[in-house]
Amino acid sequence: MELWIYTSRRLVQIVIIFFVILTVLFLLFRLAPGDPVSRMVDPNLTPEDAQLLIEELGLDQPVWIQYFYYLKNFLTGHFGFSFHYGRPVVQIIGDRLPNTILLFTTSIILSALVGIFLGKIASWHKGEKTDTCLTVGALVTHTVFLPWLALIMIWVFAYKLGWFPITGMISEEVWLDPDAGLWPKSVDILHHMVLPLTTLFLIHFGSYLLIMRTSMLETLREDYILTARAKGLPEKVIRNHHAAPNAALPVVTSVGLSLAFSINGGALTETVFTWPGIGRELVFSVSHNDYPLAQASFLLIAAVVLVSNLVVDILYAYLDPRIRY
Amino acid sequence: MSGKSLDNRRVQKFHWMSRFLSGWAIFRQSFLGKIGLTLLALFALMALCSFIPPLVDPMYQPMAGVDPEISTVTGPSTRHWLGTDFMGRDLLSQLLAGARVAFMVGVSAAFMSVFLGTAIGMIAGYMGKFADTLLMRLADIIMVMPALVVLLMLAALFGQLSIWFIVFFIALFRWPGVSRVIRAQTLSLKHRPFIEAARVAGASHLRIIFRHITPNVLPLSFLYMTFQVTSAIIIEAALAFLGFGDPRTISWGMMLQWVWKTGHMFNAPYWLLPPGICISLITLSFYMLGRAMDEVLDPRLRKEGQTD
Repeated sequence: MELWIYTSRRLVQIVIIFFVILTVLFLLFRLAPGDPVSRMVDPNLTPEDAQLLIEELGLDQPVWIQYFYYLKNFLTGHFGFSFHYGRPVVQIIGDRLPNTILLFTTSIILSALVGIFLGKIASWHKGEKTDTCLTVGALVTHTVFLPWLALIMIWVFAYKLGWFPITGMISEEVWLDPDAGLWPKSVDILHHMVLPLTTLFLIHFGSYLLIMRTSMLETLREDYILTARAKGLPEKVIRNHHAAPNAALPVVTSVGLSLAFSINGGALTETVFTWPGIGRELVFSVSHNDYPLAQASFLLIAAVVLVSNLVVDILYAYLDPRIRY
Repeated sequence: MSGKSLDNRRVQKFHWMSRFLSGWAIFRQSFLGKIGLTLLALFALMALCSFIPPLVDPMYQPMAGVDPEISTVTGPSTRHWLGTDFMGRDLLSQLLAGARVAFMVGVSAAFMSVFLGTAIGMIAGYMGKFADTLLMRLADIIMVMPALVVLLMLAALFGQLSIWFIVFFIALFRWPGVSRVIRAQTLSLKHRPFIEAARVAGASHLRIIFRHITPNVLPLSFLYMTFQVTSAIIIEAALAFLGFGDPRTISWGMMLQWVWKTGHMFNAPYWLLPPGICISLITLSFYMLGRAMDEVLDPRLRKEGQTD
């Protein structure tokens, strides 16, 4: 029950923070040099259409009234039309969001699980060769420059060896084939996903491994581990059932703390692999001066960041009964 | 506290020296620390070398120095050790200039963010109550914001960002982590007897903060500085890689952006590999340096194997 109170309090906080972000973004759009109208209205529209859109967005009104129009449009999901695609921004964002969530959550969960597992092994073999190899490996993969790693991945595995497609998320011949069922389509997406997923995984698992190792070494010095040993429990049971679950808690916290880092990495990975996600759309819209699309992608990324933080916090409160907020 | 004799001062000086020397002795035992320091020395040497080539030949100017006989991508040769880029510019000169920019961006952004973080952390911890809540909530918000994404948005609105704007913005985004640690440290210091003694002796808040708390949190700030350098270099490189760097400076990220965008990444490994290796190694070496310093400051880590 306490968890519910905590969750709802955090939800209110999140709404307030999001409101602040919305307001700052509104102000930035008005403060930036140049004409704010040209930033929301497609320069290629006919004068009549442009006038209609200006009225709809309230751009001919004083700034503080514009602000209410802005909030109203935001609440009704009205983000305007993308200059580049000529479609409503909401539609584009809606298309891209599942792709981002697919890549992002899979990579985070995979790297956290592998990081926890390998960190456990490293701490168990402290000072031995296994430990040194894992720690140094984690340090190196963690600090590699992500876009460069992505380029190398493409160069080696897609270009030289030809094992995976170079870019994109789907191959058209599979998706245009009317006979293709769900299975070949999913296999196709998986095939495209291997390289971006591996890149994100390699970048992320190292920090989780290092945190798990340190935390595990600390946990192993606790009294209850000594008790477990004194009871004559097998080492494997002590490691997997007594030490590891507690030691994994800081990893959960660090997933939350490194979310900003992961989102940056996600945007870079999507861009290099031309994975049709939100991050790539943001980079694309920024370089093509597609302001409505950039604004909506930014807001969505901010929302994703806030919500995933909440999820991590709730997960933490659920996993660690000692924590009560 | 006041009216310190000369003798007293000498003792204090000696105390600092011995602390430094004992710290150095621990640092020297750390394998990672030694590698990190060596690599950093090499990069510093690279940055210094970047000042030399223009003196020799304008052809090696990293930005504008085009080889008159070469107008396209060429492989390594005796004249251009790493080859040339799509305009016939020397890649080695660009790589050396990149080292300079990386140090500049990394160190200045880290310095600013650590300065901000330390100041805000001390104020929040010492003042408590309203100031504490306000500053720490602000830190929470900024902490979860992905700096790269925000910088992209600003690039969309304000056009081309200058390198100092980027540095300043990275600093604005990176202080919360530092300030949390410094705040915790300040909170634990606040109730120590020596602070209470200073307060009873009539020291003002400012004097207590600067004279008595600052020296005790500074080692931690320095530790964080090395980690901040890492993230600043990565953010700048990523921004340049996406094509939003300062067009008047050459950074390694920008070199990668060129090799990627001009479509030479599959046929010019001599262009693709060096900048990426440099960014990765410089971040790795700052990271290793930070870990080694961690061992010096935190005795608990020291007892654990060398690689921690």
